[in-house]
Amino acid sequence: MTTQNTTLNADRPTGNSAGPLLQVNDLHVHFPTDDGLVKSVDGVTFDVEAGKTLGIVGESGSGKSVTSQAIMGLHRGSSAVTSGQVLLDGEDLMEASESRLRKLRGKDVAMIFQDPLSAMHPYYTVGNQIIEAYRVHHPDAKKHEAREKTIDMLSRVGIPNPKVRVDSYPHQFSGGMRQRAMVAMALMNDPKLLIADEPTTALDVTVQAQILELMVDLQKEFHSAIIIITHDLGVVADIADDIMVMYGGRAVEQGDVIDTFGQPQHPYTWGLLNSMPRLDQARQDRLDPIPGNPPSLINLPPGCAFSPRCTYRDRVPGDRCRTEEPELFAMGHLQHARCFLTEADRIEIRGGSDQDPSAGQEAQA
Amino acid sequence: MTKKTKSISVIAAVVAATTLAACGGSSSGGSTGSSGSASGGSANNASASKGGTLYYTSNKPRQTWDPQRTYTGEGISLEGRLFSRSLVQFPVTSDLKASSTPIPDLATNTGTKSNGAKTWSFTLKDGVKWQDGSPITCADVKYGTSRTFATDVITGGPNYILSYLNIPTDKKTGLPVYNGPYKKAGQSYFDKAVTCSGKTITYHFNKAWPDFNLYLAALRAGDPYKQSQDKGNNSNYTVFSDGPYKLQGTWTKGQGGTFVRNPEWSSKTDNIRKALPDKIVFQEGVTPEIGVQQMISDSGTAANTVTTNAIPPASFSQITGAVAKRTINPQSPFTEYLVPNMLRLKNPKVREALAIALDKNAYIQAGGGSKMYAPAYTVTAPGILGFKKNATFSGLPDSGDPAKAKALLKSAGVKMPYPINLTYPGGTPTSDKQFGAIAAAWGQAGFKVTLNGLTDTYYNVVQKAGSTWDVCWGSWGADWPAMSTVIPPLFDSRPNLTPTTTGQDYGSYKSAAVNKLIDKAAAQTDVNAAAKIYDQIDAILGQDYAYIPLAIDKFYRINGSNITGYVNNPAEAMYPDLGGIGVKH
Amino acid sequence: MFAYIIRRVFSGIIMLLLVSLVTFILFFASPVNPARLSCGKICSPALIEQNSKALGYDKPMIVQWGQFVKGIVAGREFPEDASLRKSAPETIATCPAPCLGYSPLNAETVSSELGPRIPVSASLALAAFVLWMVFGISFGIIAALRRGKFLDKLLVSAALVAYAFPTFFIGLFIYQFIALKWGLFPVPVYTPLTQDPLLWLQGLVLPAITLALVYLAGYVRLTRAFMLESMGEDYLRTAKAKGLAPRKILFKHTLRAALTPIVTQAGLDLGLLLGGAIITEQVFNYPGVGKLAVQAATTYDLPTNVGIVILIASFVVVANIIVDVLYGLIDPRVTLA
Repeated sequence: MTTQNTTLNADRPTGNSAGPLLQVNDLHVHFPTDDGLVKSVDGVTFDVEAGKTLGIVGESGSGKSVTSQAIMGLHRGSSAVTSGQVLLDGEDLMEASESRLRKLRGKDVAMIFQDPLSAMHPYYTVGNQIIEAYRVHHPDAKKHEAREKTIDMLSRVGIPNPKVRVDSYPHQFSGGMRQRAMVAMALMNDPKLLIADEPTTALDVTVQAQILELMVDLQKEFHSAIIIITHDLGVVADIADDIMVMYGGRAVEQGDVIDTFGQPQHPYTWGLLNSMPRLDQARQDRLDPIPGNPPSLINLPPGCAFSPRCTYRDRVPGDRCRTEEPELFAMGHLQHARCFLTEADRIEIRGGSDQDPSAGQEAQA
Repeated sequence: MTKKTKSISVIAAVVAATTLAACGGSSSGGSTGSSGSASGGSANNASASKGGTLYYTSNKPRQTWDPQRTYTGEGISLEGRLFSRSLVQFPVTSDLKASSTPIPDLATNTGTKSNGAKTWSFTLKDGVKWQDGSPITCADVKYGTSRTFATDVITGGPNYILSYLNIPTDKKTGLPVYNGPYKKAGQSYFDKAVTCSGKTITYHFNKAWPDFNLYLAALRAGDPYKQSQDKGNNSNYTVFSDGPYKLQGTWTKGQGGTFVRNPEWSSKTDNIRKALPDKIVFQEGVTPEIGVQQMISDSGTAANTVTTNAIPPASFSQITGAVAKRTINPQSPFTEYLVPNMLRLKNPKVREALAIALDKNAYIQAGGGSKMYAPAYTVTAPGILGFKKNATFSGLPDSGDPAKAKALLKSAGVKMPYPINLTYPGGTPTSDKQFGAIAAAWGQAGFKVTLNGLTDTYYNVVQKAGSTWDVCWGSWGADWPAMSTVIPPLFDSRPNLTPTTTGQDYGSYKSAAVNKLIDKAAAQTDVNAAAKIYDQIDAILGQDYAYIPLAIDKFYRINGSNITGYVNNPAEAMYPDLGGIGVKH
Repeated sequence: MFAYIIRRVFSGIIMLLLVSLVTFILFFASPVNPARLSCGKICSPALIEQNSKALGYDKPMIVQWGQFVKGIVAGREFPEDASLRKSAPETIATCPAPCLGYSPLNAETVSSELGPRIPVSASLALAAFVLWMVFGISFGIIAALRRGKFLDKLLVSAALVAYAFPTFFIGLFIYQFIALKWGLFPVPVYTPLTQDPLLWLQGLVLPAITLALVYLAGYVRLTRAFMLESMGEDYLRTAKAKGLAPRKILFKHTLRAALTPIVTQAGLDLGLLLGGAIITEQVFNYPGVGKLAVQAATTYDLPTNVGIVILIASFVVVANIIVDVLYGLIDPRVTLA
């Protein structure tokens, strides 16, 4: 297991507080089920630096949400089997006690979820839930202080008339307002790391943009690191500094956003970019969805997990894609991809596609 | 279980006999009308000691404590022994003859009849008092009888007196013009029919009533009632005693109450009741399953308890040794019989074949055995005056003779197998098994039996005129130990059969000869003479196969170990005779 | 909300009227003639007719129903007989509003029959309710928290076993062995609360356990199911991500969501039960409404039957209204309109 990551991990310092804010090393999250072992996350390594944003991209079931929850230890107490390292400011959260984790959750690491309606308790007011998030980490804070801080935070995330809305129930908010409230809740304790799991998926496009803008603004203000998990490359292009593309529980491509969008290296990334609607072209003939379905996490295809769906697998000689698993090879400047295609093949293929994948960067600007 | 079902269907229809008053009597007839030899019960038995608390447990709640409304054997027995004395009552005894012979209670003798048994008079003893110390007067006795006439207020009680007292009837309704002491319409007629002269009360009837004093002794309808205590229906659970016990506080239906000594009662005026316990506690709603278990264990108050709960068959195995010695197993006053539908089974040979093939033993076995039933040979019970086994049925084997019955059915020339719809109160495995046993034997005899086990409204269905059953089940107990309370109610077609119902003549039996003899018996001034005529009628009923006797119900109960003086008294319908029971203490 | 309650009460009254009408129709469809029942063993048609008239059964059904409804509103007298009222007023049974009828068989108004029995049934129902709610919900929570583990399987199957045994079996077993044979507990006898609260409670324990066992299984399973549903909700993940302690998550977040739907079920069950627990009352000889219902049914005491049906129906209707209003209060998403 270690060898396949050597290219990325070779010189990584570990346990060093001088390093990035978050370092995830060789993270595995496996769920034993009646049908077999589900390898949701199977050896993922990445860093996030303070004030920076990492975008994790992938289809449903690629392991991106599980990764984010594993960082916070939310799988503890369930049947999940985890291994690897999650270093936050050099402290290994995988080794930390549950009570230590509880102190970190919501304080140093906060989270925003996909569907703000189901993510908020229907029986308690928005204010109540935000106040609770604050007071759990500020047990000495007085109730009215917490309430004032909440109103203030609601106001900062753009909730109109926050003094009144603080006493509203989640179902009385619109979708966008609820997500703003979630953001407010997450920011109550000035988190070092904000994990946003599909924060805009349930929202309509204009509201999406507002929420993203809000997150970017607040990041500047609070200097937080952000991990944004999405299947929407446009979102990543908008706000991320780095990107990790996940497939079948593993990273298939990792790198700087500009590089990755400019010169994507993995056929899966190409597929994602091609399947994305684009506003910069007047009219697209058709979207190219990636053929086939995501792989079963219990029985991953042999060799490269993406090979059954890969149009270019025959370019690699000797049926290598189906017999040997590619490592995360370093490709270009700070970029890594899990693919056997030669440099020449990739240039040829990218050049031959009917659009320039790098244009995605400006897609929704 | 059969018993339970039956009793449920029975309460359902008061029409049915089973819960009703019944009394045994001697087979040789008793003296009536003379100032009888009052030897039945000795009031001061030296071996029995006074004091202690007696417990009386039962399951179903008492419907009333009103003497004029009471019509169950148990209620009649309890009231008579506890707080409602009568002009005459039956003694505390298990002797068949003595138990059906009235002895003086409030009256000085057992009554004087004259004018061809159309006039009866009684004289009250000196010194008999109500619980408030006031003397019992002739007017009180008269008032008690008057209450029965208020049929809209005093409901559910025996109403024989309505057709006997010499009061004109309304032409339209056929009911007496006197309608009781509340509305007082026709009061003058009643005042003429029942007259008081000092302590002597005289009843004037419109026809002979030779067994009037049996009526007085066997029911509570003729007991005195103090007018000042009467609130009609509102005094349903009021107890105003002239007997040895009075109610302490109030009666709570479904739970019971406590009777304590009535200081105004004196044993000097009462040679029937021993009144041994100081206190009698009634507990209602005690189920047989639990109550009998307590009795078997004999712990706590159970040792001082008598119960009307039957021992359930599930507990039979526990009845051994010392426990068995505490059980009693007398024949009840209730006889079960089968009734052929005369409108459908017109061929007498078919009815005869049914009687011959009837397997009483199988019925009894399926119903729990000899603890529960004895085979019956006539519709009357052994305690009744003039009781005789019916010659038609007494020679038949208890297990039936299917071969003989089959031959008879063949000779009748009917199509075989002959279809029979046998209708009975079903709904329990036991009753279905019992009637299944009857059907099996009849099947061997060439009948094809369809079992029709009804639940709930059994009698209402059976009594419908023009019913399509061929044979049904019936049960009857006499109101007093004379056949006049068995044969006419069951087989006189004139009052029973109407266009809509068969009354108690379930089989629509209609015989001019029987009706004529019934009139003749009713005209007799002497009960023994009447009994002879009823025996003739029973013979005709047998020859006609108007009914087929099945079984006599038996009671199977258990007493606590401290109970003394327990007698199986037919006059008390085999319920615990509180006139003689005491507790060791 | 006030308008809502008024509207619900109004429709509840309509419902009760309909129930009483249907009961009356069934009453008349019965093959039993109540006038026959009130007239001893041997009874002539003339006497039956006279009784029928005295009891008012000769009038058309709709008139009798009208009188019944009038009795509930304004009270009645039995028998309704002006001449008897004049000559012997003491024999008239007055039945003040709400008058549920008069049972000739028991010579008592149905209300006065029911009156002393309602506290008995209510005591039993409430005691059982407390037991099954406390134990059913705790067991359900424990089972859900230990989902798939031994304790979960033990609790769920034990509750099912208790449920599978008929009430009368459990009741008789408890009565027979625990009270009688082994003497572990005094034989239960009902004592009014006002008379002696301790004896009241003592007499309630065994019957209430019996009755609670009937409902326990259902509530264990219900609580467990709602708990599991609630535990899978996104907002619990949010609560955990906030850094809340497990205890706080359980009591504030999980239970609040899981127990709210149980209120509906509990309210309706309690409402129905206030009208009497037939088997338990029968087995333990508890003089409650359920026992009266059995007596009334087996003796064809139709007026009492009608009264009990109305009583139970009104408990259910009221329970329904209360549950709905309560739901509006505890679930902010529900608006009463």
